[in-house]
Amino acid sequence: MNTDPLAVRDVFASHYFLLAFLASLGTTQVAVSISGARGLWLTPHRTVTRWLGIALIVTGFLIFFAQPLWIEGPWAAGSVEADSVSREWGQADWGDLSGARNVNDIHGGLDGTKQAIWFPLSAVLAFAISALFGALNLRVFKTAVGPAERLGLDEEDAGGLTGLARRSYFSNLPVSWRLFTSEVGEIWRTGLASADRWSVFRVIFGRSGE
Amino acid sequence: MNSLDADLVIRLNGLSGNIAIFDDLMRFVASDYLMPLIFSLCMLALWFSGRSPAERAKYQLATLVGISALALSNIAVWLINITWERPRPFIDHGDQLNLLFYPPTDPSFPANPVAIGFAAAAAAWSVNRKFGWWMFAAASLYGFSRLYAGVFYPTDIVGGAIVGVAVFGFTSYLRRFLEPLVTTFVRLMRGLSAA
Repeated sequence: MNTDPLAVRDVFASHYFLLAFLASLGTTQVAVSISGARGLWLTPHRTVTRWLGIALIVTGFLIFFAQPLWIEGPWAAGSVEADSVSREWGQADWGDLSGARNVNDIHGGLDGTKQAIWFPLSAVLAFAISALFGALNLRVFKTAVGPAERLGLDEEDAGGLTGLARRSYFSNLPVSWRLFTSEVGEIWRTGLASADRWSVFRVIFGRSGE
Repeated sequence: MNSLDADLVIRLNGLSGNIAIFDDLMRFVASDYLMPLIFSLCMLALWFSGRSPAERAKYQLATLVGISALALSNIAVWLINITWERPRPFIDHGDQLNLLFYPPTDPSFPANPVAIGFAAAAAAWSVNRKFGWWMFAAASLYGFSRLYAGVFYPTDIVGGAIVGVAVFGFTSYLRRFLEPLVTTFVRLMRGLSAA
């Protein structure tokens, strides 16, 4: 059977996006459960959030590598030898499973560049989902005490992920942005003053940045 | 050197076919989708996992340098490839190898997947030794799986590791010429509540 590499690429792209999304969402959950950014947690509990994150990562990889068992694709027939001309389109059996996804990019697999496009998109979507569910979480479980208090941080002044320890993404965004716009000039000037003397920006703008 | 290289890949690959489950495991590890995604996820985790603002800023700068090093590693490997097109082991010794992976068409030296793995691991190691060592172990396992599968020589793996670490060092050095842009970018992301 002649398998069109473009058809193979479509299959791989959609499957990879699902994998990258689930794994990114899981990784984000594990990481924010460590950093304490409660505004991004999918659940109100740190431990549950962390285990949910691990489960999402494992599920993403399990689905991706097991999909050839129930979805038709270019998996069949000894992936090592087959190219886009001889590769059969169909479902893989258990024996083929480990090599089913091993398809060269010239035959429709995803090369590094395409993965480098799909992964950030999935990570941004995972962040958006975390922000949305985190906001719902904080609204429903209002009494929760965030790690910012335990760390003794001044939550009124804290932006970024630190502010997310107590606030939802949507209420934290204006605070963070205000902080950024008030500090950015100073950050730039201080950065220029302490930058390497061959820094491109120091060469262009001078040490004071003026 | 070349014969030692070939001898090693033939011996290691010769172990395949004995334990089916280990061959299957190596096929999964060698996949284009498992370890590269794990390296990307590690960079994502590094971005979000700092426990204090200072630690987060340090991790986030390392993440940016790491991502840049991944991209530059690809360029470094490509430059070496156009200078020296070393054939893959299955081209020269196909009759003695049991290929477990599709036959890649790009040159063998240095191993690109290992280069990106080591670049990412070096970025993590620069700010968190324990996490970095785990990533080095993962990158080494990835290299071993490709060696076991018969698509790289041992020197390709070692060369890839050296390229990855060297490019990370070069990228860290390069960062100083782009300051204060890099730090300001991290602050911008903090302004967007994403850092």
